[in-house]
Amino acid sequence: MTGRGHVKFRDIVKMHGEFAALKGVSFDIEPGEFFALLGPSGSGKSTTLRILAGLDAPTAGHVFIDGKDVTSTDARDRDIAMVFQSYALYPHMTVAENIAFPLEMARLPKAAIGSAVKEAAQKVKIEHLLGRKPGQLSGGQQQRCALARAIVRKARLFLLDEPLSNLDAKLRLETRAELKKLQRSLGVTAVYVTHDQEEAMTLADRMAVFMAGEIQQVGTPAEVFAQPNSIDIAGFIGNPPMNLVPARYTNGDILVAGHRLKTAARLPDERDVIAGLRPSALRIAPDGLKAQVDLVEDLGDMAVLDLNCGGTIMRMRVGDHDVPREGDTIYVTARPQDIHLFDPTTRKRL
Amino acid sequence: MTARRLRAAVILAISAVFLLAWAFPIIWSVLNSFKTDSDVLAYPPKLIFSPTLGAYREVLFGSGSILPNLVSSMIISVGTTIVTMLMAIPAAYALARLRFHGKKFAGFYVLTTQMLPPVGIIIPYFLVLQTIGWIDTYQGIILIYLSFSLPFAIWLLVSYFEDIPLEMEEAAYLDGASRLRTLWRIIIPQVRGGIAVTVVFVFLNAWNEFLFAVVLSGNTVRPVTVAMFNFVSVEQTLWAKLAAVSVLAMLPVVVLGVVAQKQIVKGLTIGAVKGGGRR
Repeated sequence: MTGRGHVKFRDIVKMHGEFAALKGVSFDIEPGEFFALLGPSGSGKSTTLRILAGLDAPTAGHVFIDGKDVTSTDARDRDIAMVFQSYALYPHMTVAENIAFPLEMARLPKAAIGSAVKEAAQKVKIEHLLGRKPGQLSGGQQQRCALARAIVRKARLFLLDEPLSNLDAKLRLETRAELKKLQRSLGVTAVYVTHDQEEAMTLADRMAVFMAGEIQQVGTPAEVFAQPNSIDIAGFIGNPPMNLVPARYTNGDILVAGHRLKTAARLPDERDVIAGLRPSALRIAPDGLKAQVDLVEDLGDMAVLDLNCGGTIMRMRVGDHDVPREGDTIYVTARPQDIHLFDPTTRKRL
Repeated sequence: MTARRLRAAVILAISAVFLLAWAFPIIWSVLNSFKTDSDVLAYPPKLIFSPTLGAYREVLFGSGSILPNLVSSMIISVGTTIVTMLMAIPAAYALARLRFHGKKFAGFYVLTTQMLPPVGIIIPYFLVLQTIGWIDTYQGIILIYLSFSLPFAIWLLVSYFEDIPLEMEEAAYLDGASRLRTLWRIIIPQVRGGIAVTVVFVFLNAWNEFLFAVVLSGNTVRPVTVAMFNFVSVEQTLWAKLAAVSVLAMLPVVVLGVVAQKQIVKGLTIGAVKGGGRR
């Protein structure tokens, strides 16, 4: 099983008429990796998955799987399994028949199909539902059925298109954890499309962040979180998202709302920048930036504050103790290494 | 409460009037088919009479038996239905799914053929059939019936195919199925209701058709709708026999209606409610 499922995207362009859905996308996925395609809707992540699956053809560029150029290979000859957002279960077939369908198409002998179906159903814990029709299943059970149909064939690539988006919040968290365990135990390469940065952060070994038809960053969730390489990614990853405020860089310091903060950055000249400060990176300090607490959102084990720093609005996360009250004036600062600087025009990291 | 009851009573009364108006010719035919010719003409009409199967015996096994005409009607209707469905299912699927040059025009053309007044095309049809020597043949009549049943069936089926989510097909491709296999194993089973409805409508249209049949048929192939007029002549109308033939001609329609009632109702609602077909 190891060594299967190496994906290489090279300069993939997809045009819808005049509109460029993908503007030259390149990335690599290593065998056995859980790889997330993350981005807001319309950013091209689903298009990328569909091109990988062979459901759409790219306008230009090449797709390689396990070293072979599959750009013009039919979807059914790519040895790829996929879980659709709508699950796309066949409503007229029982769960068992649904799971068996890909094996039937592969012309496996009947006996082998039966045992494989059972095994797949056991892995996702739906073996008691094999005789039911999809219409008689709950959303979560349908989702498991779709998973079973995808894993039964032991395909070299396992694609998931927002598979959790139709589940309620509690079930989503449970399934998320199970999905990760399932992928580990199967050792299969998984490509996962989501617009939910939390899902991508928790599930993925590595992820590609899509913005407006381009990949802006590829890396582990920790890397992308710690070193977002553009303003767009900084504003997209993390909850609540990073504070992005205009500032003036001079000689190692930045001037934010009239207050000087030390940074770790060393830029050649004095210039305007966008400073990025995570809500969790802000801390209270007597010599910090003066801020008025406009709003307190108490989440139980923590609170999110809306701060007004002389007209600049920032959000801050604090623990459940020492929560200031609305209307209080506090002083906040951040460690130099927690301050990210971006170019206001190119929107790239400095 | 009383207002609601009054409303119900009014609705019931109106429905009863409509039902009676609609059912009267049928009741009349059924009653008269069991009468003797003299009973039919009795005035005032007899509601109590001694029923007889004479008329049926005569029209089925007498000298002017319409049995061959019933068989003709059946061959024409079944033939039309089979050929129509064989061509309409792939055509409707193509119109619903595939992208091809002139698709819009094809869809529009299919619809326009439904708008032509039939009378206007009878003579051209007659000339065409005459030229190829297909007047008074099964293939001739079936060919002409296809010209209106096929567009109708395609038009009806397209909406059923469009209701199947595209993702379902894509899932099948990824599962390793070819397009043809997907159509056969995944799509067609889900449009069963729509196919049943279409089969019923196409069959009934062909079975009930009169206008084209009267012009294009002859002595060899004469469907029952045309043959019925044997009992109507200048001198007299054989009401009892005419009624008996009418009842016989109605039978398949009624049987089909009863058998397929569930499918028809289900099929019609599936077509109407988006996404309802995913059961």
